Amino acid sequence: MSDDIAFWLSYITNGKHLTWYASFQFTIFAAVVGGALAVVFGLIGATLKNSRFWPLRLIGSTYSATVRGIPDVLFFLFFPLAFEQAVEWVVATQVCSPEAIAAQTAAWPPCREANWLLGTTEYLILASVSLGLVYGAFATNVIHGAMRSVPKGQLEAARAYGMSARQVLWRVHIRQMWVYALPGLSNVWMLIIKATSLLSLLQIADIVLWADRLGAPNFLPAVGLVHDDWRWRYYLVLFVFYIFVTFLSEKGFNAIMRRAGRGILSEAR
Amino acid sequence: MDVFLNELSLFAPAVVFNIYFAVASIPLGFVFAVFLALGKASSNPLISRLSRGYIYAFRGSPLFIQFFMVYFLALSFNIGVWRPMGISWFVLHPLFIGPLVLVLNTAAYTAEIFYGALRAVPRGEIEAARAYGMSQSQQFRQVVWPNLIRLAWPAYTNEVVFLFHATAIVYLALPVIGQQKDLMITAKDLFQRDYNAFLHFSVAALYFMAVSMLVFFLFGLVYRRLMRHMPAAPRMRWAPKWLR
Repeated sequence: MSDDIAFWLSYITNGKHLTWYASFQFTIFAAVVGGALAVVFGLIGATLKNSRFWPLRLIGSTYSATVRGIPDVLFFLFFPLAFEQAVEWVVATQVCSPEAIAAQTAAWPPCREANWLLGTTEYLILASVSLGLVYGAFATNVIHGAMRSVPKGQLEAARAYGMSARQVLWRVHIRQMWVYALPGLSNVWMLIIKATSLLSLLQIADIVLWADRLGAPNFLPAVGLVHDDWRWRYYLVLFVFYIFVTFLSEKGFNAIMRRAGRGILSEAR
Repeated sequence: MDVFLNELSLFAPAVVFNIYFAVASIPLGFVFAVFLALGKASSNPLISRLSRGYIYAFRGSPLFIQFFMVYFLALSFNIGVWRPMGISWFVLHPLFIGPLVLVLNTAAYTAEIFYGALRAVPRGEIEAARAYGMSQSQQFRQVVWPNLIRLAWPAYTNEVVFLFHATAIVYLALPVIGQQKDLMITAKDLFQRDYNAFLHFSVAALYFMAVSMLVFFLFGLVYRRLMRHMPAAPRMRWAPKWLR
């Protein structure tokens, strides 16, 4: 019995497992930064959509309509690659000599000097930005709807008190908007959490990639992980982890919702 | 232009796989979801808890992880169960595992929609049905079900489109067998050949959008049919009305 416990303790604390635990930081970073950026892009999109100027309104609506019509995985693969290529192209216009371009046989980049090798950090930042862009489109719709559901009377009252347009926007409109936006934003946050499981598609050694490596059948005693195919157990751990994160976020959002709803009459509660 | 048309024809066989995954999993997911929703609303605590837990688990975790989990679970049974039965070629095939996981996943989301609609069925109509002396099953067939499906249809349409989008990750999680490449894998392969991200990914996106539009159109037709007892929405007026 005690041997068993000692075995499992040493098994789950060997170096590879510790790297696995450390890789949770990538997932958490992508979720938090992606979520923050999604709100920022959502606010920008909603402002554009609310704009009095027709072309801006068109940009806002096109952004939210197109991005929501395309699977997030596609954007998730496309955006970092496209950004990398765009940078390489700009660099190529500066550093490449005609001889180097002529000597280059591969399809991309134009010349060898323009090649830009991305590490985990860069890919992680690009992934967070693309999460923000994709889910910002969803947040745009949520925030746009919330801005419109603030009671008109509140804004009129604020105006009647002599507040300027900016004061009405910041002190009354946006303050009250959160109550209507939070349920929708909590949905967007749940989508972002689930989308963080796709990080491994960008060669980031995140929890999914490590689960795959650690669970793969291994018969070399030198590695210290002698077992058959245990991948489904590792994925079960991730399955439970994500459910747990969802549970925690629900609790968190309920608390925020209670706080944002202070002093506002609502039918729901 | 030629390049673009050539690209469209390259993606045409790929979209069939995505459509296959969606079409194979929608009907089963629909039926499973109805039972889950009824289970969640059931007065039996055991059934209710079980369906609640199922819905929570599958809505709370990423589809990507679910794919891996189910696939490797099936794989670990391979030597013990599937191979002796001689069905491992079928059970481990992505064209079987893919729809299986999609059904499990979409059923949870759809069940939540149906559960919400079930709770929104007007109380008075059920009481009226009971006052007419309808039995339980009659009440369900004649009153609850038509109301439920009408309430749930717009949200269900969205869910179907999301399911179609979810088919994009099937082959990112499961092994690709031979030439069975769906839209995403085709786009990735073509990208790795000539590094033209903008062309390949936007054509794939175009296919996704086209099919989504088609789904919205078809489900809109069904919705019109479901709502045929309601007064039609006013037609758009082009000319001013001078006289009433």
